[in-house]
Amino acid sequence: MATTPASIVLPGVDALAATRTRPWYLDVWVQMLRRKPLGSAGAFIVIVMLAAAVLADVITPYGFAQTSLGERFIVMDRAHWLGTDQLGRDLLTRLVYGARVSLYVGFGAVVLGSVLATLVGILSAYFGGRVDLLVQRGVDAWMAFPPLLLLMSIMSLVGPTAWHITLVLGVAFGIQNSRIIRSVALSIKEHTFVESARAAGSGHVRIATAHILPNVLPTIIVVATTGLSTVILTEASLSFLGLGVPPPYPTWGGMLSLAGLDHMYQAPWLAIWPAVALSLAVFGFNMLGDALRDLLDPRLKGR
Amino acid sequence: MRQYVLRRIALAVPTLILVSIIVFAMMRLMPGDVVTRMVEGHAYAPTMDALRKDLGLDRPVHVQYLEWIGNIALHGDFGRSYWTRQPIWDEFARRFPVTLELAALTIVVSVIIGIGVGIVSAVRQDSFADYTGRILSILALSVPYFGLAVVVVVVPSIYFKWTPVWTYVPLTVDPVANLKIMLVPALVFGITRAGPIMRIMRSALLDVLRQDYIRTAWSKGLGERTIVLRHALKNAMIPVISLIGLQMPLYIGGSVIIEAIFRLPGVGLFFFEALSKLDYPVVQSVNLIIAAMVVGLNLVIDLSYAFLDPRIRYR
Repeated sequence: MATTPASIVLPGVDALAATRTRPWYLDVWVQMLRRKPLGSAGAFIVIVMLAAAVLADVITPYGFAQTSLGERFIVMDRAHWLGTDQLGRDLLTRLVYGARVSLYVGFGAVVLGSVLATLVGILSAYFGGRVDLLVQRGVDAWMAFPPLLLLMSIMSLVGPTAWHITLVLGVAFGIQNSRIIRSVALSIKEHTFVESARAAGSGHVRIATAHILPNVLPTIIVVATTGLSTVILTEASLSFLGLGVPPPYPTWGGMLSLAGLDHMYQAPWLAIWPAVALSLAVFGFNMLGDALRDLLDPRLKGR
Repeated sequence: MRQYVLRRIALAVPTLILVSIIVFAMMRLMPGDVVTRMVEGHAYAPTMDALRKDLGLDRPVHVQYLEWIGNIALHGDFGRSYWTRQPIWDEFARRFPVTLELAALTIVVSVIIGIGVGIVSAVRQDSFADYTGRILSILALSVPYFGLAVVVVVVPSIYFKWTPVWTYVPLTVDPVANLKIMLVPALVFGITRAGPIMRIMRSALLDVLRQDYIRTAWSKGLGERTIVLRHALKNAMIPVISLIGLQMPLYIGGSVIIEAIFRLPGVGLFFFEALSKLDYPVVQSVNLIIAAMVVGLNLVIDLSYAFLDPRIRYR
């Protein structure tokens, strides 16, 4: 048995190590900044939003429903950076708590929807034939509706609560994206390694979870990250129409809603800041999603 | 060609049947109940059972479904509103021109901006104009149309003393006054929808401009304008048209919100009001009509490919 002496150093390794001036994890970030400046900006916005949502109770000096009638309609001052609304509630505080709702509903719906999309997509692709035909006609029918009309119908029937909107948006997200997962699973199904797994005696469950799922995973991650901005925007549209998370809890869509229109004429910043926050969030998730898509699954480019 | 058209139409039928089942089942199986609301809030009938019987809601669900869909399929009768007892089709037909005009203007705005900026971006790739165009498209993608709409309603009225006109005038009565009302909503909605069109126009045109037949056109000595507009554009339009088709549901869904903000008496507002009263037949029928339109429109778009690219016909 020939053992490799520990003292042997392969040529070039030292030289290579010498050129590496940063640890690898910093390197990843530098690469990202250099190659995907917009994606990095997106990541930065998303991180700020996440931090705001998690630390909302700590960083805000006021409660989100804390009224102060002596301080109504302040434009902006040292105590209220983004001003106050018709009840003297601090706008920045409400925006920070609004980020929490957006992220809670957004992430909840996307996680739920991704699981559903994966389940439906892989099942439909794997079994093919009649199952596939039936499932796909159902998906066709669902996609024939303008998404907002269908979601509005469902939300006004089940009643607006945070949990309902997460569930409804999640199901809608799942059905819509099961198509993409299905198409990827269909192509993976045809590979020889699936055939050899079957020949080796693997059952349906094993083939689906151990062979197809890992290969669909990058696509799932891409679908989830690029879908986040859409889900957050849809949640805001529903809240805007009064079909989202009910007051007094602040949502960005709800803060923009027509119920407050009369006050906005007195205080336009009540409309501007939530719109800016929403735009920034959508921008951030869009850019981060695009960058991740290019890095993880170039096949989906341009979708 | 005729066979291709017929096959596509035949494929749409099962989809529409499923659509009708989905809207119907949704209204009956989910918790909200129109009868409770009509009796408790508005005293439409002495007891809930009486009203239920009156509206035919006491019968088995499949009977109700067959009656609803049968009346639509055989007599073109979409039923009546529970609350007002007015025929749904009449109200829909009365309001539809408003929504159609809004959608058409929105598409015109977004197509003009999207295709225009897209062409400049592609032809002058990596120039200052291109970067400006791309930044604009990212902005258009990020700004939510209802946020922009509220800001446009509020801010100019304070700083420029300009407010949108609230009283609606039909196009047939006074076209100029009507356009004044519709232009701002269509601009707001169209600008935010132009982002994706810009993006796809740019990438499709860049693709086409690299092809051999364009090089041939250059070497023939044709001018840039002829090459871009006459030779390249038609081939680059397919993904753009397909995108507009895919986005049709978004135009219709968004019109609910735009109509609510600008107080336009369209189908969207009709639907939204029916929804807040849980008016089953109205919500069902409007959902079905609109879904049928989306299916029909996708059909038209598929067929228009055959016009733009004759090779598609033979597939």
